[in-house]
Amino acid sequence: MNARSILAACIGSRQYTLFVAALGFLLTLIGASAADARGNTPTIRLFPTTVVEDLRQTSNVAREMETGLQEVIGRLDQQQQLYLQSKCDGAESDPGCQRLSRQLGATYLEMLGIMEERLPDMEHTVNNTRLSLEKRLRSELGNKMTPWALQETLLGTDGGGNVDRTSPAMRGRSGMRLSERFKQYYQLVASSASKSDQSLAVLAADIYLDMDETAELIARTREEIARATLIEQLNQSFGTITPEMMEVVGGVKSILFGDEGDYAQIAGPPPAYVEEVYRSPLEN
Amino acid sequence: MKYSRLPGLLAAVFFALTLSACAGKPPPCQGPQTRSLDGAVSVVQRSLNNGCAAHFERLYDDLLTIAEGDPKPENKRIFSEFLVWSADQGLLSQRQARDYYNRYFNVKFMALQGDYNNCSHTCPRRDRVMRNMERELSDKERGLLKISLDNAGYYRADELYQEVELVLEATCTACTAGP
Repeated sequence: MNARSILAACIGSRQYTLFVAALGFLLTLIGASAADARGNTPTIRLFPTTVVEDLRQTSNVAREMETGLQEVIGRLDQQQQLYLQSKCDGAESDPGCQRLSRQLGATYLEMLGIMEERLPDMEHTVNNTRLSLEKRLRSELGNKMTPWALQETLLGTDGGGNVDRTSPAMRGRSGMRLSERFKQYYQLVASSASKSDQSLAVLAADIYLDMDETAELIARTREEIARATLIEQLNQSFGTITPEMMEVVGGVKSILFGDEGDYAQIAGPPPAYVEEVYRSPLEN
Repeated sequence: MKYSRLPGLLAAVFFALTLSACAGKPPPCQGPQTRSLDGAVSVVQRSLNNGCAAHFERLYDDLLTIAEGDPKPENKRIFSEFLVWSADQGLLSQRQARDYYNRYFNVKFMALQGDYNNCSHTCPRRDRVMRNMERELSDKERGLLKISLDNAGYYRADELYQEVELVLEATCTACTAGP
């Protein structure tokens, strides 16, 4: 088995998927930390000071990782463009192309190095936050509430008549620069001074589930990075780049800098009735 | 010999008389034939008072079907008043009346009723709870959206369903992980 096939096998789509997933949770964390900015004290204590502090720390680590990766990704992008413009694809034996390919591989290694360096911190803070949230969820929503009380908490004090369209829909959102996303979440939370427990419960659940998945993904990603680094070091002597490498770089770029073209607009629901809704004496 | 056919003749006459007596009446507990909800409610109320209480569920469903043909916000009130009347007549308990109303016309899910905490009661049967909520959401689509034109109410119920799913998943994971 040559180095290229080993590399393809080891850092192919699996590595890419893990990496994308690991970064995906960063987006959630950054949004979550904005909950700190809320002025009111919730009646259910899902975000006490310790949890907020854990979130803030995780968010900081995420931002450091973003900053570190941003510069490397920019360089990778330039090198990749140069590689393609020089028509090196299919001309790997050309000495100039081999040099470009090695440079690209070295930057790629640098990117893996940054991830390797940052991920232990990330793992630590993610686990702290996950455990803090786990405890609060178990206590506040699991042991202190019936399903009916949980439903009423989610509906808020208006009994479900008004839909709070400013609630952050967190899961599955991506395609935006991390810092911009953070700014948007911050503005969203800071502009609505009276957030109810309703969105806090959803927020806590959302962050907790993401952290739970992410803790495992970080561990797996760290293992993969070690292997991919070794393989890329071997590959340096061959001077080739693989489509998988380009795919990884493309994925990281779309996460860090956003790529709105990939997200089709879906029609919203029809406009709601503005008429006063009838309330029956039978309503609970 | 002359009188030997008499019993058969009498039986035939009795059968014919019975049939003619029944011909003018609708079959027992038949659903309302009118397309007007108000009229249908009156028909159903008469049926229920005339010994059709056991058919309440079917008759209620007939009323829902008729209301779907003429959706408007005030249908909620008509159903509420009908159910209050049913409870007052002793056809339903107060709780049953609330269930019939809220299942179709309220954002809240009756499937989430329960007196015990989520860790001990809801989590062990989370799948069943979610299935029941899903069925109820379909009834709310009928009651809120198709009968009452309460789009906002239905979309809030749909959103609530998703929120409950997410929050229960997280809470139950936390319950399982903890002491």
